[in-house]
Amino acid sequence: MTPALSLDGVTKRYGAFTAVRDLSFQLDAGTILGFLGPNGAGKTTTLRMILGLVTPTAGKVEVLGENDARRVRAKIGFLPEERGLYRRMTAVGAIAFLASLKGVPGGEAKKRARALLEANGLGEAANRQIRALSKGMAQKVQLLSALAHDPELVILDEPFSGLDPVNQQSLETIIRDLAGRGATVIFSTHVMQHAERLCDQVVLIAGGKKVFDGKVGEACAAAPRRLVLEGALSPDALACAPSFTRVDCEAIEAGRTRLTAELAAGVPVQAALKTVFDRDLDVIRLELKEPHLHDAFIVLTGAGGDS
Amino acid sequence: MRRMLLIAGREYLAFVRTVGFWLSICLMPLGLFVAIYASGMAAKSAPTPRLAIVDISGGSYGPQLTGALGSAGPTAPRTAIVVAAPGGPYADLARATAGLKPYLTGDLTTPAGVRLDDVAIVHGPPDSPSLDLWTRNIAEPGLQARLGDALSDAVRRTRLAHSGLSPAAIAALDAAQPAVTQFSPRSAEGKVSMRDRLPTAVGFGMGVVLWSLILTGAGILLNSVIEEKSSRILEVLLTSGSVPEIMGGKILGAAAVTATTLAVWLTTASIIASSMNPGLVGQIVDVFVGRGLFLYFALYFVGGYLMYATLFATIGAFCETTREAQTLLGPLMILLTIPMVFMGQAIARPDAPLLQALSWFPPFTPFLMAARAASGPPWWQVVGTATLMFAMTAGELWIAGRAFRTGALSSGRFEFATFVAGIMGRGEHA
Repeated sequence: MTPALSLDGVTKRYGAFTAVRDLSFQLDAGTILGFLGPNGAGKTTTLRMILGLVTPTAGKVEVLGENDARRVRAKIGFLPEERGLYRRMTAVGAIAFLASLKGVPGGEAKKRARALLEANGLGEAANRQIRALSKGMAQKVQLLSALAHDPELVILDEPFSGLDPVNQQSLETIIRDLAGRGATVIFSTHVMQHAERLCDQVVLIAGGKKVFDGKVGEACAAAPRRLVLEGALSPDALACAPSFTRVDCEAIEAGRTRLTAELAAGVPVQAALKTVFDRDLDVIRLELKEPHLHDAFIVLTGAGGDS
Repeated sequence: MRRMLLIAGREYLAFVRTVGFWLSICLMPLGLFVAIYASGMAAKSAPTPRLAIVDISGGSYGPQLTGALGSAGPTAPRTAIVVAAPGGPYADLARATAGLKPYLTGDLTTPAGVRLDDVAIVHGPPDSPSLDLWTRNIAEPGLQARLGDALSDAVRRTRLAHSGLSPAAIAALDAAQPAVTQFSPRSAEGKVSMRDRLPTAVGFGMGVVLWSLILTGAGILLNSVIEEKSSRILEVLLTSGSVPEIMGGKILGAAAVTATTLAVWLTTASIIASSMNPGLVGQIVDVFVGRGLFLYFALYFVGGYLMYATLFATIGAFCETTREAQTLLGPLMILLTIPMVFMGQAIARPDAPLLQALSWFPPFTPFLMAARAASGPPWWQVVGTATLMFAMTAGELWIAGRAFRTGALSSGRFEFATFVAGIMGRGEHA
């Protein structure tokens, strides 16, 4: 089966600066891919190369079976990172106009625009000018304008930024629905929870280089599990224990401390627990914390607190 | 093509649906009309200056000067109202000057309570007098010229009379003015009439209208592109259409807005011109169509508009604010004042060497050649300048096609290096 999207050794240089370096990954049709990376990692440049807005210095980009996305632009929906619509256009007019540019006939574009607005709770705002809408509503209208032509590939650059929790939830539903009807979705984000909940596949890049490509669970495995212990514990209670690579200690109240211990790679949980019990520690609470994508992001990108 | 028309349609409707657009294009000719009318009204309503004439030459020129001032014509405002000189008689020039000055400064008024605006003192020998004109309004040269002419005539008549000529003979001499008639091989009847001069005026008007229209259209386009750039709509458009489709659509849309502006201006101008001179509009149309000036207009509008619209759209793609655009457009606007200065010369000297040379500079070609069109410039100049103009426009379109995308995708403040890289086709901003 031909992948919906394929990047093979893609590099983009601006003079002496390399924005993207030898990036390769594939994405099957109908899947959701999270494109993650710290600020300046090269995400937007990569998305622009996928869209055919920027030409790669080296490598090959194949989109929906074509080696130039401009040949299939009518099958692609795009939401840029920085949002904006014609302020004096109505919501329905803006969506219909952009859908028309993608090849949808005028009358049909208007019909679809109204239906989309109704379906997403913006029916009463259909004939209001964009400048009269709230920021959240305007962002939603722009998202709908990227979807009205029923694209096969949807590219969303930081779609969750600026949305309140309710609208973020609503966007997650839209993305799931898109994949549900067979569209391929690729989105960049800093909010790991969204990627963790939504993505079939994640690609992490840092400094223009790919640092991970795979399923969310595989990414999470790159980060260590943690064992949290609370009780009357001394900071060196787990000192020299080979099951743990690092132990952080914090006082939580008089006579009680919390130790957070990172499990060494490959150490089973049972072995770690055995270490704790063998030392006969005064533990009143114990919790095993599985790593999240956020942890994996920090480990893989070395981003520290960037996310 | 469909995308281009869609973008053009949106561009056009975005402008013509606003009240501001109709207000601005209607107010422009209305403002011009009001300015002309108000200027005439202001001249008519200005108080007629009070003039005192003192003749200490002994030549009795006072009545003749007074008579000359009263013959300005039935509808023209009087040049001055002559009042009796107060405080006289005066023995010499120094006393007359000293005695009458306070009436000009307002320190004294005439027995009728009037402050003088002008004082004319005729002095010197009676057969060769001089005239000193003291005035409060040093910017008004008309009175001095009329008094000078009247005194010259009077002195001439006096000398002729002293030479022994009878008053009848002098009157016959005055009446025997030579008839001067202008002829030209370019005039259908040989004798040059107002109708023959009309094409030159129409040509000049065509140049001025082209200049205004092209810059209006390019300005509309610039603002539109800046708005789309700053709101990131350009990036979305670039994923929906090619650069030629986007630029072409926007240029076409702004051209339609410009054409609407022209239609409103022409309609308004026709109504005003018909009310002032019913036959004038017909004559202008006759010249414009009959002499083929409309072909020149179409040719230079297409070439000039494409040239400037492409340039302005490309600049707009690199700027997020009009202030940024102004830094780039400043030198260009200074350059564009040059054809405005030289277009006036095209009326009197359409074949002046400098004007011909400047017509070959493509940025000036549309305006200067349009202004010269009525004089029938040599065909090789028309073909040559038009070829250069379209060649430059084609080159500009080629460069703009590469630069536009770079500009549209750039972010942050305008950077000259990015602009140059875009123009050179090296830039694709991160």
